[in-house]
Amino acid sequence: MNLPFRARQVLTIARLELRRAFFSKRAFWVYLLAFFPALIFFGHVVEVRFKLQEQGGRMIAPALIDSVTEAESVDAVRSRLGEPIREFHWKRRGEDHHRLQYSDGKRRAEFRFQNGELTSRNIRSVVNIEEDKKIFAAVFQYFYLRVAIFFGCLGIFMNLFRGEMLDKTLHFWMLIPAPRPVLLAGKYLAGLGAAIVIFSTGVTVCFVLVLAAQFPAEAQAYWASAGPGHLARYVGAAALACAGYGSVFLAAGLLLRNPIVPAVVLLLWEGINGFLPAMLQKLSVIYYVQSLSPIPPPIEEDVPALARLLLAPAEPASPALAVLGVLGVTALVLWLASRAVSRLEINYSSD
Amino acid sequence: MTAAPPEIVLEEVSKFYGEVLGVNRVSLRIPPGITSLVGPNGSGKTTLMNLMTGLIHPDRGSLSLRGLSPRDPERLMRITGYATQFDSAPRGATGYEFVCTALLLYGYTREETDALAWKALDRVSLRDAAHRKVAAYSKGMRQRIRLAQAIAHNPEILILDEPLNGLDPLVRAETIALFREYAARGRHVILSSHVLGEVDVISDQVILIAKGSILAEGRIRSVREEMQEHPSQFLVRCENASRLASELFAAPHVSEVRLHGDRAGLLVHTRSREEFTRLVGQLAIDGHRIDSIIAADENVDSLYGYLIGGDK
Repeated sequence: MNLPFRARQVLTIARLELRRAFFSKRAFWVYLLAFFPALIFFGHVVEVRFKLQEQGGRMIAPALIDSVTEAESVDAVRSRLGEPIREFHWKRRGEDHHRLQYSDGKRRAEFRFQNGELTSRNIRSVVNIEEDKKIFAAVFQYFYLRVAIFFGCLGIFMNLFRGEMLDKTLHFWMLIPAPRPVLLAGKYLAGLGAAIVIFSTGVTVCFVLVLAAQFPAEAQAYWASAGPGHLARYVGAAALACAGYGSVFLAAGLLLRNPIVPAVVLLLWEGINGFLPAMLQKLSVIYYVQSLSPIPPPIEEDVPALARLLLAPAEPASPALAVLGVLGVTALVLWLASRAVSRLEINYSSD
Repeated sequence: MTAAPPEIVLEEVSKFYGEVLGVNRVSLRIPPGITSLVGPNGSGKTTLMNLMTGLIHPDRGSLSLRGLSPRDPERLMRITGYATQFDSAPRGATGYEFVCTALLLYGYTREETDALAWKALDRVSLRDAAHRKVAAYSKGMRQRIRLAQAIAHNPEILILDEPLNGLDPLVRAETIALFREYAARGRHVILSSHVLGEVDVISDQVILIAKGSILAEGRIRSVREEMQEHPSQFLVRCENASRLASELFAAPHVSEVRLHGDRAGLLVHTRSREEFTRLVGQLAIDGHRIDSIIAADENVDSLYGYLIGGDK
């Protein structure tokens, strides 16, 4: 049989399997993983919109906010800055407490008074694009790459063979007139298509929501400069992670009955990646895909050195090496899986 | 010189599921025609079928189906259709979609797929239900849609696991006619059953299997004839049963004569079929009116009883 015929067989299998990969009842929680951060970013958009709406026409000049000094009285501040957006007044243990909130349109200032005198001032941006970009980078690296895509691929790819064995339907595929590696390729392609669509959409929605929370001018400036490139790298890294983890879990579904075992082993392997010798680091998916993230995620100063090692690659790979590395790991694992699928036997009664 | 008919050959095939025996040292040569694998649940029938189709591989021995190895699914499944006991239709698929899905994987074009699918659906009388979901089918309809999927690509070898289960009498007759038509065209039809009576009528040969081993194989009559240690049973329909009984019982090869339940015949046990046939002929010449003589134990039920001591 020639290559175009083989390719047609692979595509036919992938097309038939795609619906199952998208709508398997066992993989429903994959959608929760993919879109959970979008809920949080949406909440952020709502919060920013609410704050901007709340300040309405009561914005004051930035210089006025900056002019407020220690020990100034509440009456002096109010008379100079005018009516606040919000005002809180309460008494506790015989002391008089005041809190006044002002906004210059971009920043929100909160002045706290005790017995009529200013005791603290807290001035924060209503929304800060640089900060939000770092938060997004952190969500992408720590949540999407290490949790959502990892477990999402477990749900999607383990089901491709293992799920059908449990449903007692795998024999349908084993009886087709095609070599088993063709079946493997078709199923892998279906799982990969579903995983990439689900997680790329999740990542893109979050990215759009981050932009939606910003002031229009700043969002447009970012989108006109590095924004599309960053989004492409995030989506590319997500797709490569799906390819890498997908191949591993597809192979695990062929070799093992219990998905918890490969999940724990791989999670540990990926988790201790930072401690491994350079050579072994390259035999993981996380080593390559975290190198593709365009913005390094923030690591707070007080994070212990051990956790710092776990979270950051010792020596990030170049983008080209990262892409080739993931594809190499994927090809190796798929080759092993093709050997396993050729030996695979149907035995529903023992499952 | 004509070529030997293509056969299905199993040589010393053994399969174990861990410690559990599947089949043990099975050697068979199955010619074209209808062959029934008969045995109780767990006897190894499905294991044999799965071995033939490459769903499982033997631990020892080898198999060849019309010269093809089960380890070469690409070539084997082009000439083989297998209807298992389990549904394999994709979730939400209609009967038509199920049959088409399989055909697409054979590389047929859309037009060819459509034509072959309708032909197969017509063959199992499911045209009217073709666009209903398989999940909503009755047990008998599911049986038929699996059969339609197995025959859709016009295979040379048809392997069917309990294909008559759940079919109503009319559809059963149609299905048996289909098997016969396939067999008449020199194809293999291999079916399994644990209902012994039903395979009697349709099989060219039976393979009796129990606990993973082949007990007997061949045409039912020749299998019976090989079992010399068990007396043959005949039902003799006659006019004066009690007079005939005394004459028969006098013969040394007749071990038992019983009046049939309807009192219009005798059930005779004989150690020699030939001598019994000669004796009955002589009695007829002597004036006994004998309406018919029927072999009462040339059926798989009896064979099974003899072979495994009634443990069906």
